[in-house]
Amino acid sequence: MITVEGVSKRFKIYSSPADRLREIFFRQPYHREFDALKNISFTVGPGETLGIVGENGAGKSTLLKILSGILIPDTGSVSVSGKVTGLLELGTGFNPEISGLENIFMNGIFLGMSRGEIEAKKDTIIEFAELGDFINEPLKTYSSGMMMRLGFAIAIHADPECFLVDEALSVGDAYFQQKCMRAIKEFKAGGGSIVFVSHDPNAIKTLCDYAILLENGEIATIGKPKEVVDFYHGIILKKSHQGDLEVQVDQRGGPGSDLLSNVTTGEVEVISLSVINSAGDEVDAVESDDTIVIRIRVKSHRYLDNPHYGIMIRNNLGVSVFETNTYCMGISTEPLSPDWIAVIEYEMAIPLSPGHYSISVGVANRGWGYGSFEEYIHLVHDKKILTVTVKPDDIRYSGVFNMHPKARVIQERSGVVR
Amino acid sequence: MSLSSQLPLLLEFARRDLWEKYSGSSLGAIWSVIFPLVTVFIFLIIFANIMGVRLPGTTNVYSYGIYLVAGIIPWMTFSSVVMRSSTVYLDKKHIISKIHVDLNSFPLYIAISESMIFGITFGIVFAFFFVIGYEFSMVLLMMPIIFMAQQLLAYALGSILGILVIFLRDLRETVSVVFQLWFWLTPIVYVAEILPTTVERIMVFNPAFWFVDSYHQIISYGQLPDPLFLGLLFGFGFVLLLLKQWMMQRLERDIRDFI
Repeated sequence: MITVEGVSKRFKIYSSPADRLREIFFRQPYHREFDALKNISFTVGPGETLGIVGENGAGKSTLLKILSGILIPDTGSVSVSGKVTGLLELGTGFNPEISGLENIFMNGIFLGMSRGEIEAKKDTIIEFAELGDFINEPLKTYSSGMMMRLGFAIAIHADPECFLVDEALSVGDAYFQQKCMRAIKEFKAGGGSIVFVSHDPNAIKTLCDYAILLENGEIATIGKPKEVVDFYHGIILKKSHQGDLEVQVDQRGGPGSDLLSNVTTGEVEVISLSVINSAGDEVDAVESDDTIVIRIRVKSHRYLDNPHYGIMIRNNLGVSVFETNTYCMGISTEPLSPDWIAVIEYEMAIPLSPGHYSISVGVANRGWGYGSFEEYIHLVHDKKILTVTVKPDDIRYSGVFNMHPKARVIQERSGVVR
Repeated sequence: MSLSSQLPLLLEFARRDLWEKYSGSSLGAIWSVIFPLVTVFIFLIIFANIMGVRLPGTTNVYSYGIYLVAGIIPWMTFSSVVMRSSTVYLDKKHIISKIHVDLNSFPLYIAISESMIFGITFGIVFAFFFVIGYEFSMVLLMMPIIFMAQQLLAYALGSILGILVIFLRDLRETVSVVFQLWFWLTPIVYVAEILPTTVERIMVFNPAFWFVDSYHQIISYGQLPDPLFLGLLFGFGFVLLLLKQWMMQRLERDIRDFI
């Protein structure tokens, strides 16, 4: 359980540390100020995960440092039940000269474990970190991934009640990241509280119960992970947009109960989006594997010299399962004049596993590079909800979509003569 | 955090301090003791043997050597604790900026590990005393009390300097210069009686003299230490401890921000 109430942190920037003492003696300010965090409040209950997103310098690391007790807030209170551990930075408190095993002891004691406790857990830790014989080598011979594995293994086995995860997790390879995620989920199921800072929108959406977007030290928005991440995504698009009119991020209620963050300059309108099945009927639900046509009608209020139109299909957590656009597909488009309507049709099979999906639409101008645009004019999320139902004669499977496997089983005589 | 919950951390720090400083070297922690012993023997050989110094009023060949050892080992512990504490926050920056640790535990572990070195060094010295036929007197039992007072003073002073050094980096060099002077301004290699009377009178204001003289009294002269000096040591040490506590309360947030 983590309770943060009205926490603010202001860094005073001194030209030299001695100015701080001068201030105390002469009672005059000798500093410039920088507000790293302003009036932050939230609660993370047992078994809950809070995601934090935000640009560099938004205050994410300062917040984690305050939660772990490394920094002291100026105002407000932080109360944390039990022990807080986590993976904040690589090599946190490690000594590069001594072996991995000795570092387990040193680090464990930092985290408030007794020698006996560490002795009992060290084999589990070594096994989790999968360092093999490297555990007896000095830490300076480790790769950053190995260091992260050891750090994570100690932190999760130190019996914390609250766990903090920073971007350091991304140093690990895909296999170990999965392993960490499993460990984090287990920890969560056991009633632990987690604060998770990541730049990976899908990780936030799948792992967190709710999320916070930090902007210049303030909570810009707090809510469901999907809502917050979409809003953050909108802000990034706004920054990448190079057109004359400024892009607005507009948060409003959508077809479901979720808040949607649409990004628009107001120059383009999506008039309609319809899904048409193979029989030519407009539908809201299709069977898995059906071929559908997504028909989008777009109207522009200004001249677009090189417009492109994209779609994005996302699952119920807001994780994108498929997205593309006409630029990325190598389709050339004609300029769109004011008061003309562009009708875009995507014809495709939907081999998705049954569930609810949403279709989002984007309009951008002047593509460049691998898949970027000079102007991000319009992004409307979850324009339509599409339900995919079970195809009666399908194989049974689970996952994201049906890969239509062909399977064979044959038997070979073993080479061993008995 | 209470002291008992911090004890494993303090002991681990102290253990690491003794062993890791020389990790990779085959003699390891033995070096921690070799350094003070070598210093002691250099002074012994130069002053007692080469220059033939005798303690005034005695004819014993070893009397001056014993006097020297009685003062120099406590001084070395005192200066190590204070000087190392004065830079410990900068030295342990990589820990303080990454993990939450009580800031008071850093000077404290230095005091603990230096106490161990003090104990071992004196153990060896006393064994040597036994060989040369030194008469052990009951007043030696006062030693732990003098040592506690000395360490209280060293810990408090070291912590205060440690806090100040974060804000005034020049202080680090100043401290080592002052300690050079302080060593020679304290009757350690010489006896207080050779000083002019005015200087001898001022010596009462030298905190190092309080404990150095106390060790001299019990080890060299077999007498009880001056109760005034013991009182001053504990009193002054306690005042500095309160000052340190106040400074820590006032500046902890800034220390953590600056580091």
